[in-house]
Amino acid sequence: MGAVAKREVVLTVEKLKKAYGPVTIVEGLDLKVHAGEAVALTGRNGAGKSTVLRCIVGADKPDDGSVKVLGTKMNETNPEIRRSVATVIDDLDFFPDLSVVEHLDLLARAHGIHEPDALVDEVLEEVQLVPQASQLPNTLSSGQRRRLALATAFVRPRRLLVMDEPEQRLDVEGIEWLGNRLREELADGLAIVLASHEPALLKAINAREVRLGEPRG
Amino acid sequence: MSATDEKFGEVGQADEKQLKLLMRDWRHGRADRNILQALQDAYVMVFGVVLIGAMLISSIIQAQQSVSGCETDSCLAARGLLPWAAVAAVLAFTLVASRMFGPIVASAAEGFWLMDAAVDRRKLLRGRLVASLAVAFFAGALFSALIATLTGSTLTHIGIWALAGGLGAFGLTAFAAAEQGLERHWITSTLQWIVGLAAVATLLALVGIAAGWLPVAGLEQLSVEFAYIVAGAGLVLGLVSMVVAHHRLRNIRRQRLTAGSSLIAGMQGAAFALDFALVRDILVEHKAKQKGHVRATRGAGQGTTALIMRDVQRLWRNPMPLVVWLGSMVVPYAVQALGISQLNPPISALVLMAALIPFMNSLRVLTRTKGLQRSFPFSPAQIKTAVIVVPAVLALIWGVATTPAFLGALGGEQLDVIAGITAALITAIAGLLAAIRWMSAKPADYGGPIVAIGVGAMPPGMLFSMLRGIDMVALVTLPIVFGLPAWVSLLIAAIAFAILRSGFDKDQMMEQQEEQRRLLEEEKARKQGRSTGNTTKIKVQRSQKR
Repeated sequence: MGAVAKREVVLTVEKLKKAYGPVTIVEGLDLKVHAGEAVALTGRNGAGKSTVLRCIVGADKPDDGSVKVLGTKMNETNPEIRRSVATVIDDLDFFPDLSVVEHLDLLARAHGIHEPDALVDEVLEEVQLVPQASQLPNTLSSGQRRRLALATAFVRPRRLLVMDEPEQRLDVEGIEWLGNRLREELADGLAIVLASHEPALLKAINAREVRLGEPRG
Repeated sequence: MSATDEKFGEVGQADEKQLKLLMRDWRHGRADRNILQALQDAYVMVFGVVLIGAMLISSIIQAQQSVSGCETDSCLAARGLLPWAAVAAVLAFTLVASRMFGPIVASAAEGFWLMDAAVDRRKLLRGRLVASLAVAFFAGALFSALIATLTGSTLTHIGIWALAGGLGAFGLTAFAAAEQGLERHWITSTLQWIVGLAAVATLLALVGIAAGWLPVAGLEQLSVEFAYIVAGAGLVLGLVSMVVAHHRLRNIRRQRLTAGSSLIAGMQGAAFALDFALVRDILVEHKAKQKGHVRATRGAGQGTTALIMRDVQRLWRNPMPLVVWLGSMVVPYAVQALGISQLNPPISALVLMAALIPFMNSLRVLTRTKGLQRSFPFSPAQIKTAVIVVPAVLALIWGVATTPAFLGALGGEQLDVIAGITAALITAIAGLLAAIRWMSAKPADYGGPIVAIGVGAMPPGMLFSMLRGIDMVALVTLPIVFGLPAWVSLLIAAIAFAILRSGFDKDQMMEQQEEQRRLLEEEKARKQGRSTGNTTKIKVQRSQKR
């Protein structure tokens, strides 16, 4: 990906505000993420990292402010936005009757990939789910389900990748793999926004850190 | 009896009865009101149940008196065969439920705390065995008696059918319990298929008699004699199996006992919320977990075609719903044969709804949470359209295959060709829309306002959860039942489809309204030359790039 593409603004967040009842979770958040750039939301538990991510992907509606993806106002039902934004947050569901490999095959085909076999195999290999390829999602361990969730983001075209604590339930090797994979994605011009408590991962992808909430007193 | 342990000293033998009494004491100690007080608090509900129950019983008796006078071949066939079909269905359902839940279950807490103790599990589980057998007997008898009553059978025959259903269910539950002790499933599965096929065959025979293809002579008497055989066989099987099951109680694995209980607990939770789609989700997940893995197949097509082709592949992977769908085609013929052709559209549409629901797993998963839906590059309407293609084709085939029934070609009221085809089409559309509604309707919103009732409070949407699907059937088919022109039903169906496809999202509409209001205020403020920009303090802290 060239330098011009890397300068392109993929995500713009302006004056984002979100409150639950009388409790304001986040207020006045401005954020710009360029192609090839990784931004990490950090902060203590309850600081609003997941809330911000949910607003960014359209799962939650901000009380004020705006979110734009590639210049288009965020509307999570817009097919163009869905085509551009890959998400790994906690609301991912699976078809109970489709195996691991069938999920990835279906997703790749839905995104218009004609012969997805090689890509699906490669991603399965990367997330170390080859032995579980024909298993149904309910029989996977929580770590394996996490890997499958990550895999769904890598078998499809994407311009922005949003992840909520992707290191969760991954072992040390898994975190190392994820760091390497995300570094490659960044080099290819992907914009990444993630919430994470894993310094090794943030270091691996050279993430710009945005700290949310008051520091612990 | 006691033993000496190095660490604990003298250790006595645990007494199962004492353990159970101890638990009962704890439970009673924690109760804050007795059953009478609970009933007093819920007097409105109790009154309602009694009132509705009385109305139902009165309607059933009226129907029995009205139908018992009918002596046509169709009525005689129905009287002779429908109770048998009902008993066969009861027996098949008994086997399915027994295999799925246990039939003997223990809660996770009992599994963890009690089963771990050095006690004889037979003494702990004996009560469970008896309870499951009693439930099977009474439920089987009640349902069989109800169907026999509705077909106009005499009181004696109703009693015989009740015994057949009750004792048959008792026998099969006891047999399943005995098999549970061996952890063996294939015999109960085979029996379940045989009995289920017998139920469908009986319905087919009913249609055959109504059409004049099969003789009706002596059917009622033969049918009742068959009921005696079922009752007798059920009793013998039940008694023998009960002894065997009791003997094997000691060997049932703890996991096998608690799995059924956790399934029941999950389903109970969903059922109390009247979210029957969630009850089904739990069953589907449970089945998938038991299956574990599948032979992976390569998908086909791109874009929304990939979703459609996956649904087609599902038909081959799991053909059982297809068998049920095929069986459901008998229903309009059977209803017509019973001489209640006026009610054929709503009754058959409800059956079609139930038959189409298993083909809508994709719709369910893609509408219950947004996460997976968001992964696909389509709008919600595009996704919904794609995942209802296969059920819609099945509904259309069903409509074509059942058109002769609505025409009255095999008995019952005769309609002209246009009216018959229209009735079949409207029924198929109603069944399809009802299934879509049942699978994709949002659950009750517990975050919104709630309504006070006698036993606490409930969100208003909870009441409508019970009517999911049924409302669509009523909306689309009742106009033709009441003799209104067919275009009224078709127009209602078109509007309903448009709403179901686009997803009537109240929250989203309110958000859009709010957004428009905000933009208007900003525009006003801009014209007045002042900014509405948020000037509140920014709480975000930033650190330098690593």
